[in-house]
This record gives sequence, structure tokens and C-alpha cells, in this order.
Amino acid sequence: MFKHVTIVDMHKLLYIYNGFVIFALMAFMCITQEKINQSMVARSFLEYANAVPTSSLTMIYTSVLSFLALIIVSMIYRKIKQNLWRYMLFATEIVICMFLLRILNLSYDGIVLLIVADLMFRYEGHHQEYTLLAAMICLYFIANYNMAIFQAKIISFDAYVSYYNVATQSILLALKNTFYSINIIIFVFYLIMLVKNKHEEKERIRLLNERLEEANQRLRAYAIEVEQMAETRERNRLAREIHDTLGHSLTGIAAGLDACIITLDSAPEITKKQLNKIRDTARKGIVDVRRSVKKLRPDDLEKLPFQEALMQMTKDYSESSGMEIIFDIFSWSDNLRQDQEDVIYRVLQECITNANRHGHATKVTITIGGNEKYLLIVIADNGQGCENVKHGFGLKHMRERLELLHGSIHYWSDEGFIVEAMIPLNLEVNHGKNIDS
Amino acid sequence: MKNQKKCILLSILLAAILIFAIYFRMQQQPITLKIGIFAGNNWNVPQGETYAIIDEVIKNFEEKNPNVKVKYVSGIKKEDYSEWLAEQFISGNEPDVFFILSDDFNLYASMGALINLSDFIKNDNDFDSNVYYPAAFNFGKFEDKLYALPCESTLTFMFVNKTLLSKEGISIPNNNWNWNDFLEICRKVTKDTDGDGMIDQFGYYDYSWRQAAISNGVDLFSEDGKNSYFADSRMEEVLKFIINLKNINNGYEVSSKDFDIGRVAFRPFTFAEYKTYKPYPWRIKKYTSFEWDCIKMPAGPSGGNISILNVLLVGISAKSEQKNLAWNFIKNLCYDEKTQQMILQKSQSLPVRRDIIISAKAQDIFSWDSTENNAMTPTDISAAMDESIMPYKFKNYDSAMLYADNEILKIINGTIPLNNSLNKIQKEINAILQY
Repeated sequence: MFKHVTIVDMHKLLYIYNGFVIFALMAFMCITQEKINQSMVARSFLEYANAVPTSSLTMIYTSVLSFLALIIVSMIYRKIKQNLWRYMLFATEIVICMFLLRILNLSYDGIVLLIVADLMFRYEGHHQEYTLLAAMICLYFIANYNMAIFQAKIISFDAYVSYYNVATQSILLALKNTFYSINIIIFVFYLIMLVKNKHEEKERIRLLNERLEEANQRLRAYAIEVEQMAETRERNRLAREIHDTLGHSLTGIAAGLDACIITLDSAPEITKKQLNKIRDTARKGIVDVRRSVKKLRPDDLEKLPFQEALMQMTKDYSESSGMEIIFDIFSWSDNLRQDQEDVIYRVLQECITNANRHGHATKVTITIGGNEKYLLIVIADNGQGCENVKHGFGLKHMRERLELLHGSIHYWSDEGFIVEAMIPLNLEVNHGKNIDS
Repeated sequence: MKNQKKCILLSILLAAILIFAIYFRMQQQPITLKIGIFAGNNWNVPQGETYAIIDEVIKNFEEKNPNVKVKYVSGIKKEDYSEWLAEQFISGNEPDVFFILSDDFNLYASMGALINLSDFIKNDNDFDSNVYYPAAFNFGKFEDKLYALPCESTLTFMFVNKTLLSKEGISIPNNNWNWNDFLEICRKVTKDTDGDGMIDQFGYYDYSWRQAAISNGVDLFSEDGKNSYFADSRMEEVLKFIINLKNINNGYEVSSKDFDIGRVAFRPFTFAEYKTYKPYPWRIKKYTSFEWDCIKMPAGPSGGNISILNVLLVGISAKSEQKNLAWNFIKNLCYDEKTQQMILQKSQSLPVRRDIIISAKAQDIFSWDSTENNAMTPTDISAAMDESIMPYKFKNYDSAMLYADNEILKIINGTIPLNNSLNKIQKEINAILQY
């Protein structure tokens, strides 16, 4: 963390230093121009310079403004994510840099290093080496060959220096070189920090990855454990259920039969009655068993692939109730999770039952569609519909089930009753990505 | 994410403020056209109302363009003008339209301070560059691009002392006269009139080898000023002629005082000088004792009656924000027939439009009294201007000519012999030009 702050600081230093140099240089040129005008050597200065100088005020305005613009663009460039924007911003930086160089009459090309620093900051390896190399060569070509495009119309630093006496001239040239050298030193230091920083970053990511892998393994083990626990719990429930229902019925039946054996010869009529009661108890037992089995997964779902299971379920229902059920499948997700499959199955079952029971419909159309992000199921019947939907157990149950999957349900009356259920797919994966970004 | 959005918003806001500020500033200011002009005239002769013509042009221009104010700084002397203009360029206050001294023209054209006028001319159907004398129009060119228009000009003529010639029984030479005629008349009039043994009447004063070279068709320099051609055989003819001319005076150095008191037959004068000294007050002051006239310069054997046309140029600053307005103004100044007419009437200069000269009355050009009868007609003047050549204006011209003057004077004075010395001069001058 500390290292990261330092690289940002270095970058700030680079910018502050360059701002200072640009300001100093600009002040020098402005002051010299004023002095030239005051000491009446304007004509000979023009002759020496052979270009139209920029007036002091314009020079101050344009250089300060364009340097500020450079800082802002650079700040955004460092933070922005989209590649297209980044390239555009970088191009803008180069344009501003050239403009600044032009204003400063190419006397100070250290600004180019600022641009290179920005470029390096967002350097991401892989195929960018060549781009980087080309960009750096171009930038240096521009700087060192003093931009052939402008050359004819540029007043050299020497022209300004030539106004002063020889002693001052040597001091000025020495100062200029010192400014440039210090800039290079800061830049090199910055690059070293940057490389070091990138290396540390990589190391940190590697460590994080290792830890993540470890956590994943633990999670997998835990999942297996949880599954086993659930299995045990289910087994216990089944045992209890059997004990409560089947056990109870069978006990009753056994006791009744014992009585029947005794009374069979003496009172056949009473026995017959008794047997009827026993049969009722057995039937009740069967109903109880069915009810407890119903709480488990449907049989079809276990045996058949999901889509076929749905078909089987609707076909069965249609045969027994005489209702016409049509499937319209536009798209289908192949990797539904088990819990998603269960919910879909139950929702369809409930809706079809509702259509028959409450809407007295003769025809139900089931439409399934969606994209890679969600699955959409629309169940429409041609029944009576319903003005005010009573939020019965069935609808509430469907909503709860869907909400567990982060899905949603809507229903309304139109020509019949329409239910629309939405189930997001691969929610965990998407969620994970959002956190990353 | 938040910071990023803030930054973008901030920069957009800044840009908007900037654009608005610039727009507001431009809206607030009425359009001003700045003119760079110097007091007096370009020909180093006294002049009365120095701003009469420009004031008239400005008045007409402002009437036609009511939202425009034309301004100039008055009172800048010609000798200070070059420095003043350079200072304006350095401080960024350069005028939109400015007069350019011939010494400054190449500097401003080469440093990109002047706008190339060719595009304006191409798009302007009213403008026809053929109305100008070629020497005047081409003077505004630098490396084949037109950067300035001629405004006014002056030509060198030969002054003739009519009184002296008629006293000697010699008629005024016609406009086709040549060196031999010149030599012959000079020989005839050079004599001792009061019998004191000293020559006191002379043929010529102030006729230089440069003028002779021009009238003998010598191109001393290449257009770009990189080469010189002093070793030309025509240059040898010039020097022989000048030596002959000088020998007539027998060693006596003629002074301007000799001319002023009427003892010299010929003296080259510019038209501006002619026009300044010919009218009443100046003539009384300077040349009371004789009548005079002017004719073309004498022709050399390989040349013609050619002289130099000096031109005052006007250009538009490349940084001007009102380029079209500036072009219209420059047209009013340099192209408009009324202005050109006014130049003829109110100044000592010659207009640069051929039609103005030809259609002018001779009295207008020469400021005659109606009784006078002169040797030149407007057609002659126009022909002389058509034949005239431009002065050189490259950077090292002055230093090269200083050296040449010095060396050629030695040849004329007989300090060094003529044979082969021109080759040496050419070599030396080429070295100066390369520097």
C-alpha cells in the first residue's frame, strides 16, 4: 500500500516539476520580449528569429490553460476503463503536448517524458510492446528533431538568449540544461518505481490466487459434508414419516385383523364390517404414504431428462383432465441447476392445476424463452380468468420458491389468466464478476 | 468510478466556460481594423499633409462598413517605423494592414507574418492585377508568392537644366537618347565660362555607375540574391562609360551647390523629388536661377531608357482576425481608382495603376504652369514605368553594394586597373552573399 502511494507521488512530482519548468521558461520568454521592446532592438530580434513571436499575454494564457488541460486529461486517462476512450485520451494528450511544445517554441521537450510516463503507467504487456516502442520513438522523434513541421516558424531559445550578454547567456544555457537533466532523473526514478510496483503487484496477485484456491478446496469439502448431512436429515424424516403414517396404519390393520380372526366364525356380519373399516384404514395409510412421498422429488424428474419430464407431466395431466396443453419453446438453457428445475416443474404443475380447477380452462399454452442471463416462462390459459386474484397458498408458494432463486412472478387476467415467471441464470457467476469490477 | 465522472464533468465545465468567455469577448468588441503607417512619405522628401490620403480612404471605408472602426497610430517617423512595427509584432499588437518598407519586406514575408494575397485575388472578380505596372506588382512577391500590393511609386528621371542648354544652343534631348548623346552634351557644356582657368560649368551631377548599369541591362544579382554577375561584359561597358564621363570634368568634383545655382546640365532625380521642388514655394527656395524639365534616363548600348521603380507596399498580417475586411481595405488603398487619382493629386508619388497615369492630364502629373511646355507626356511616363525594373530587396543587398561601391570607385578613380578586376569583385561579392 505504501509503495502504491509513492508511485502516485512520483507522478505528481513529475507533473509539478514540469509545470514549474514550463512556467519558468514562459516567464523568461515573456520578460525577454518585453525587454527587447523596451531596448528598441525589436527589428534585429525579428531578423534573428525570422518568425512571428507570440505575444506575452497569449503565451501565458495558452501555456497555463493547455498545461491544466494536460493534467486533467492525464488524470482521466489513468483512471478510465474503456479502451476506446483511453486511446482517444492518449491521442489528446499527444496533441496537447505538441501544442505546448509549439507555444514554448520547442525550447523544452521534457513534456514528452510526461506523456511517456502516462503511457508506461497504463502499459499492460502482451501485444503492447510494439505499440509502446513505436509511440516512444515517435514522441522522441517529435521532440529531438524539433518538429520539422513547425521549424520554419519557430523562434529558437537561442534567439531569446542572444539578447543577453555573453556571461548571462552561458548561465541561461546551463540553467536550461540543468532543468532538462533533472527532469530526466525524475523520470528515470519514476520508471524504476513503476517497474518495481508492477512486479510487486504481480506477486500480490499470485499470493491472492493461491489463497483463493485453498478457500475453494475447503468450500468443496464443506459442500460434500452439507450434502451428506441433508441426506441423513431426509432419511430421518422419511423414517419418522413411515413411523407416523405407515406404522400407525399398519398397527391398526394388524390389530383389526386379529379381532377379525376371532369373530370370523361366530359373527361373520360383524367381521365384514370390521374388514371394511380395516380397508378404510389401509386406504388412509396409502393416502398418507402418498402425501409424504409427494414432499420428495417427483418421480418423473428423477427418471427422465428435465424437458421430457415436463412433457410427461403435462401429458399425464392432459390425459386425465381432458385439457389441451401446448408447449412453445423458443430457447432453453441446458445447464439448469437441480433447484431451478424443481421450481420450474412445480410452477408449471401449480399453474396447470389452477387453470383447470379455478379457471375451468380447456386450453393452456406454455411459452419458454429468454437469453443467457434469464429464463422466462409464460403460462396462459383460455379460462374465465379472475378479477381479483386471491393470494392463495399456491400463488404464495410459487412466489416464495421463485424468490429463493432471485426470480420473480407476475400474473394478471386478460383473455384468461396469465402467469409470467422469470428465473435468472448463473446468478452466482455474474454476481462474482460485478464484485471484481 | 465517482472520481472519474467528476473529472470528466469538471473538464467539460472548464471547456464550456472557456468557449463561452471567448465568444463573449468577441461579441463585446466592435470590429476594429488597425493600420500601420508612418508619417511623411517613402521618398525622403518633405510632405505637407501626411495623412490626407489615408484619412480620406478611411472615411470612405467606414461609410461603406458602418460597424468597422479603422485606427492608426499617427506620428511615427519613417526612420522609426521599422522598429515600431517589429515591436508591435513582438507584443502581439501588430496592425491588420500595414505599409512595408522595402528593407522590411523580405523579412516579414519570409517569417510568415504576411498573408498570401493570391487566394484573395483568385476569388475576387473585381480585381485585375494587369492594371498595375509589372515592376510595381511584382515587387510585392517573395519566392513567387504575392504578399503585398503596391500603393504608390516613384521613378528616377533625368533632370535637365533648360536654361543652360538653351544658352549653349543645345536642344533638349528626346526620350530615346543614349549614352553617346549624354557624353556629347556633357563635353559641349563643360567649360570655363568666366575665363579664370577653372571649369565652372558642368555636364552632370550625381550620375552613378548603378544608374548606368540599370540602363545598360545589367542584372547585378540573381533573383534570390545568392549570386552576382559583376563580370558581365555589359558591366565593363558601364565602367568604361562612367570613366569617360568622369574624365570630362578633369578631376573636378561637382557638388549639389553647383547644380542649385544652375551650373550643371543633368542630374538624376526621383519623381518625388521633382514634384517636391518643381512647384512654386520650393522652387523659389532652392532653384531660382533656371528653368528645368525632366526626361528619361539615357540608354546604354546593350540596354534601354530604363530606371528603377521604387514602390511602397501594403500587406495584411497573417494573424489578422479580419482578413476579408483587411483585403477590402487594402483594395481601397491600392486598387481603387479614386485613391490612385488622389495619390497623383495630393502626394509626390506616382500611382501604380497604368490607366490613371495614361488618362491623367500632363499638368496633373508634372504640376506645370499652363504656359510651360515639357518634354514628357503621360504616355512617356507610362512607358517609362512599364520598362522600369524593381530594386533588389534581398537580405545582404546593402552590404554587397557597399563593398561593390567601394571597389568600383577604385576602378573609376584609376586606383586599380579595369582589366579582370570585375571578376575579382564578383568572387568577393558572391562570398558576401553566401554568408
